[in-house]
Amino acid sequence: MLQMWLGGIEGLLQVRELAFLGLGMFIGLFFGAIPGLGGAAALALLMPLTYGLEPFSALALSGGVMGGVPMGGSITAILLNTPGSAPNAATAIDGYPLAQQGKAGMAIGAAASANAIGGIIGTVSVLAILPIAKDIVLLFGPPEFFLLAMLGLVIVSTTSRGKLLRGLITGAFGLMVAFIGYNDVSGGERFTYGIEYLWDGVHLVPALIGLFAVAEMINLYVKGGSVSNNPASVKITSMTSGLLETFRHWPTVIRGSLIGTVVGAVPGVGGVVASFLSYSMTVQAAKESEKDSFGKGNIKGVIAPEAAINAKDCSALIPTLAFGIPGGVEMAVFMGILIVHGMQPGPLMLVDHQVEIYGLIWALTASCVLASFVGLLLVRPLARVTLLDSQILVPLVLCVAFAGSYAIDMTIENVVITAIFGVIGYLMIRFDYPRLTIVIALVLGASAERNFHQTMLMSDGQWAIYIVRPICLLLLAGIVILLALPIARGVSQQIAGAKPSAQGG
Amino acid sequence: MNRFTRRDIVMSAGLAAPALILPRAARSAAAFPTKNIQFVIPYAPGGGFDVYPRVVAPVMEKYLPNKVNIVPINIAAGAGSRGVTQLYRSKPDGYTIGIINIPGMFILQQQQGAGAYDLSKFSWIGTMGEGERYVISVGSNSPLKTYADLKALSAKRPVKLSVTGPEGTAYAATMIGAQLLGLKTQLITGYKGSADYVVAAIRGDSDAVIAAIPTTLRFIRGGTIRALASFETHSSFPGVPDATALGQPELDNISVERLIAAPPGLPADIQNTLSTALAKALADPIVVKWAKDNDLIMKSHTPQETARLIADQRAFFDKWKKYLVTG
Repeated sequence: MLQMWLGGIEGLLQVRELAFLGLGMFIGLFFGAIPGLGGAAALALLMPLTYGLEPFSALALSGGVMGGVPMGGSITAILLNTPGSAPNAATAIDGYPLAQQGKAGMAIGAAASANAIGGIIGTVSVLAILPIAKDIVLLFGPPEFFLLAMLGLVIVSTTSRGKLLRGLITGAFGLMVAFIGYNDVSGGERFTYGIEYLWDGVHLVPALIGLFAVAEMINLYVKGGSVSNNPASVKITSMTSGLLETFRHWPTVIRGSLIGTVVGAVPGVGGVVASFLSYSMTVQAAKESEKDSFGKGNIKGVIAPEAAINAKDCSALIPTLAFGIPGGVEMAVFMGILIVHGMQPGPLMLVDHQVEIYGLIWALTASCVLASFVGLLLVRPLARVTLLDSQILVPLVLCVAFAGSYAIDMTIENVVITAIFGVIGYLMIRFDYPRLTIVIALVLGASAERNFHQTMLMSDGQWAIYIVRPICLLLLAGIVILLALPIARGVSQQIAGAKPSAQGG
Repeated sequence: MNRFTRRDIVMSAGLAAPALILPRAARSAAAFPTKNIQFVIPYAPGGGFDVYPRVVAPVMEKYLPNKVNIVPINIAAGAGSRGVTQLYRSKPDGYTIGIINIPGMFILQQQQGAGAYDLSKFSWIGTMGEGERYVISVGSNSPLKTYADLKALSAKRPVKLSVTGPEGTAYAATMIGAQLLGLKTQLITGYKGSADYVVAAIRGDSDAVIAAIPTTLRFIRGGTIRALASFETHSSFPGVPDATALGQPELDNISVERLIAAPPGLPADIQNTLSTALAKALADPIVVKWAKDNDLIMKSHTPQETARLIADQRAFFDKWKKYLVTG
């Protein structure tokens, strides 16, 4: 085992491999920062170039890209409320309010350190579970996945405090949108109104760009001024303050990393679920008195998703490599690169290509730590973006947002989706509806439905299947507890009368 | 190399002087290709239909008369129909070619209507390898040990088969295969992608799975799945019955073909240039080694053979399509 670990490091510690790793990291940072472009686009673009490379160089390059993307994505999420890639949408929820308060530097610093630490914790956990990775992947069938999706929806909707009804409304809206397109189980399309584009459903990334970037730019333009309303503090905040914040919130970092690792290992679940679950669990776990500060610039709301995203990147390799089931588009493209290099993902991959796999894991880890350093160095100049006047900033960001939306797969309909969701997003800001639930419903809706139908086909319509499988039972218990907890809390508070309660979740 | 090419052009220009009255196509052939060739992949990056061209295209460049690049471009919208439509409507000058999924496109046309393209009218360049055949297998922990066990189960209750959504080629293969084998089945549909639905059988979601041989082979080697019956005429799995032994030779018609096409009306000499380059590329050591690593057979077909192949597949598909009609 140790032999293989060292073999992986040895393979990586060549001038050429390190150069490719660094190159990949910069490309990842750049592609991650631009909305619409992400790891998948970067890898797809680089795929033909890797053809002439040694497998190890190609892996170093890919690992570099995948490690750099989350950092890049968090920068735009914090500065402009524009998630550079989909999972960073969770970072924007508290990151952008921090930028508005003039604390962009601190938020980016915290994101960078959470990124690096999350990546390292993710690596350690993956190294620990890799020998039994196959069994973990096989534990999650359609019934487990359906309940996991339900758990995700429940966790997120109980997060929107005091706005439970509004959260449910937007969640239900998200589910309705998620059901547009192909019905995976019975075939045929639904709710597409003869529009060919909608056959593949409403694409997630254009919708997210609309909900966050465009909506915020409309909002900013209506208000006028600049992102930050506290110019003095923008100039003061440095990267160190953010760095320290992460070390001050160890439980949040660890929780986020572990959630990221677990979610990443479940086949077919992407980074969005990891970052949103981590965010919501952090809100759940926070002290009663602190809960209201989330969404208004709580630094933990930046740390939690960022730690989860990078931890997830590492463990997402497990279902991809062991079974050839990519967890998202990025992994699907990466699988293509592996196949081009004669490494066929499957059960044998973990046996035949161990040195390469460990090399890849090291590359990914090294890249995410490196990217964090680069991110830290950029804090000062980047934070000044929040001082730009909306007259300059809004057109710039709108251009990048729409161009990015178009660039995903060169389809003009993406731009229309972005515009529609931009208006919806602005209305949600204006009338104070949470955007968290709509995102998680968009991400999980279609697969939750599919897995529910598959479960019913598996069990010949017997609901008992959800109780007889141990993992299902565990997930069910989690859902019940989460739903019961707020009610129980409410009751106990009534009993305690005016006495302030301070227990955590 | 460069010098030779230049002289080639000069020579052809000299010859062309008295031949100016020749039709444009004939003149262009001598110089083809003079610019980069676009290779349309009607699917997103990462899948099988994406990877093949990305491996073969750079090798194919070497065997073209002039040094140009073959540039893969993914046009993934509409489950493949947008890319194929775009290819169909391109100028038939040899600078746009693409890969076509059969029977995937038959299924799509059946669902979406014929669309703006007629599959029988494309100018065929060849195939990217031999079509993949199928095999029916069970997870290695399954109580079913032989094909006879599977038949016995089918006599008692419908056999559960995991499969992709009804728009996938795997769905067609599973439906037609089960009909030919006379299995009573219940499908668990909706799995995403070819590995996903095989893993479903390993996990025990389903009793068995009908999947392409290269995909299945990876799991057989990993010891997680067991083949019960091969759909090939001659089984490549020792001790596993094949289509001949099962008395169902038609099983061998079930395949996934990766056809290379150009828009209708491509001049014959350009078609020939591209087809020859493709055939040479498939025989190139780089591609051969890659194919061997991935259990693929890189046999090439001439344009005529390819046209016959798609006609045969069309006839076979039409015979069975009533079982594929979906709501």
